[in-house]
Amino acid sequence: MMRPSSISLRRPARQILFSSVSTIRAAAPVPTTATHRSLSTSTSTGSGCPCANGSRRPQVKQTQELQQQQQQRQQRQHRNAYHSYDHPSSSAAFTPVEESILSAAYQHVPSHGFTPSALAAGARDAGYLDISPTILPEGAFALIRYHLVKQREELAPRVSELFGGEGHVGARPGLSEWEIRGRVEAVTWERLSANAQVIGRWQEALAIMAQPSYVPPSLKELALLSDEILFLAGDSSVDPSWYTKRASLSTIYAAAELFMTNDHSPEFMDTRAFLNRRLREVNEVGGVFRNLREWVGFTATAGVNVLRSKGVRI
Amino acid sequence: MVARPALRRAIPSSRTLLHAESRILRSSFSTTLQSQQKPNNNNNSVPEYAIPDPARPTHFGFETVTEAEKRERVAGVFTSVAESYDRMNDLMSFGWHRVWKDHFVASLNPGFSPLTSSSDPRAPQHILDIAGGTGDIAFRMLHTAHILNGNPDVRVTISDINPAMLSVGKQRSASLPASQQAALSFLEANAEDLTQTKPLGANQVGYSPTTGVPDESVDLYTVAFGIRNFSNIPAALREAYRVLKPGGVFACLEFSKADKHPLFNTIYKQWSFSAIPLIGQLVAGDRDSYQYLVESIERFPSQEDFRDMIVDAGFVVGGQGYEDLTGGVAAIHKGMKPRRK
Ligand SMILES: C[S@@+](CC[C@H](N)C(=O)[O-])C[C@H]1O[C@@H](n2cnc3c(N)ncnc32)[C@H](O)[C@@H]1O
Repeated sequence: MMRPSSISLRRPARQILFSSVSTIRAAAPVPTTATHRSLSTSTSTGSGCPCANGSRRPQVKQTQELQQQQQQRQQRQHRNAYHSYDHPSSSAAFTPVEESILSAAYQHVPSHGFTPSALAAGARDAGYLDISPTILPEGAFALIRYHLVKQREELAPRVSELFGGEGHVGARPGLSEWEIRGRVEAVTWERLSANAQVIGRWQEALAIMAQPSYVPPSLKELALLSDEILFLAGDSSVDPSWYTKRASLSTIYAAAELFMTNDHSPEFMDTRAFLNRRLREVNEVGGVFRNLREWVGFTATAGVNVLRSKGVRI
Repeated sequence: MVARPALRRAIPSSRTLLHAESRILRSSFSTTLQSQQKPNNNNNSVPEYAIPDPARPTHFGFETVTEAEKRERVAGVFTSVAESYDRMNDLMSFGWHRVWKDHFVASLNPGFSPLTSSSDPRAPQHILDIAGGTGDIAFRMLHTAHILNGNPDVRVTISDINPAMLSVGKQRSASLPASQQAALSFLEANAEDLTQTKPLGANQVGYSPTTGVPDESVDLYTVAFGIRNFSNIPAALREAYRVLKPGGVFACLEFSKADKHPLFNTIYKQWSFSAIPLIGQLVAGDRDSYQYLVESIERFPSQEDFRDMIVDAGFVVGGQGYEDLTGGVAAIHKGMKPRRK
């Protein structure tokens, strides 16, 4: 089995992963059977594959190991490149003028909603005219997309704080399925919490997102978010379960997000319980984080090959 | 009517589609006259090609003529079609132009202001509708602003180079509510040089004839189905830039290229090159003007090239900078004049 690589070229903050896994009990219940592995002392995990932690890590450089490492690095680079291409930074998602209007308008969302009114108010704040936001081709949806992109990008720093430092997010060898599952829950919850500030406006936003022309970009953002959550949680398997996991997580996230718009419990406790239930169900039914990989394996591999033949970078 | 003999001489009236297409090939050099100049990022120095020059070659339909000659001939075309103008638009757009215009105006949402904020200190909002001829766009703007957005603090100036077109618009405006008429003014001006203006009639809430359109005085500059008739498009874009306030929006609705849909494009071209001039002959007795209109559409730069010209003039665009309508038969381009640094 391929072990997840621990290095990411995407964000410098993730480049070095020396320190040990800190407990994530605070964020999610971790079964006692899942022992905390200290990465700084263990160089390999069960399958015996070397878990290269980056070039600064002292390694016993046996020839075989070196070869394996090289292979892994190639795979890793491939995957990291894929990951980074798929996650355009906001500077690519918005032009500087769009950014200046949208960031000012975003401040008005709690009071004006994701509306042309918020856009115009933001334009005034940014020193533009009421008419200026009409150059945004997607109108008010641009503001929704801004929220989605910004909150996705904010997730990494927030999660790294949650997990106890920069070194603790992203792909990490040695995390058990249980640990990863707990981390997925914690990261997903972190993202959901970011909707709290606009929750009163989020149903309107969902209605706009459901308009035919905005469905594709909305789904794309959802897919990017699922990918980001799994990445930050430390799940970096490159195998057929890749799609299943993302699809399941996307579905669960979307359901939880909708649930949250009607949740009046303190600190959205009910939403969190809902999220936990859904994630657990997935594991019970098909064991998406382990077992699904087996029964979907063949079909997914076939599917991946078809996509590859069509030039999709997977 | 004045210029029609000249037109006749210039455009042989028995032109077939094939003939027209061979002319596209022959004149492909002059297509690049205006659009492929070196980009200019320094707005202080106007590039040479953006300075109107009556003697410089440009195109009139598929012909190459001087800028001055084109201006004269375009005047001839619109003087002769002024009355049958709506019919012409219906023919060339299969009736879609009304839908496009509605969408164009709705997407600009004139007179809209944020709900709770106090009124805009920069009011009134000023809309300059260039090549506004018959008032089609201006009347829709007034309706949206005054009625739909309940904002009477919006003024519209209709400007056109052609007094015949302007007087058609003026006549039509008589059926508007008085409050809307009061917010409307007419101005005779060449879009390539808005410093020279001539007011039409006495009802002037707009600009004085002596000063022209001042710098940074306009919130929204619109031009619908007009810009392809200009002799010097870069010059017009620079004038638009000059008269707009920082944050002001340039918006253009124009026939464009449907070549992203080859089959549809073929049918559309067949239609426009063979049928429209013929129908023009039958319904308006004026084949040549319609022939010119069809050719001028063909000659207009692609969506991407025109967007680049807008950027070249100093505007910033959102997204790809344009929106295709009906598969690209028409397109809306928008640009914003950036804030001063
Ligand atoms: C096809 S009409 C468009 C009228 C109106 N905007 C509409 O959408 O129905 C084109 C107009 O452009 C005007 N025009 C042509 N050259 C011009 C120029 N250089 N400056 C201003 N207007 C011009 C013509 O006089 C004519 O009225």
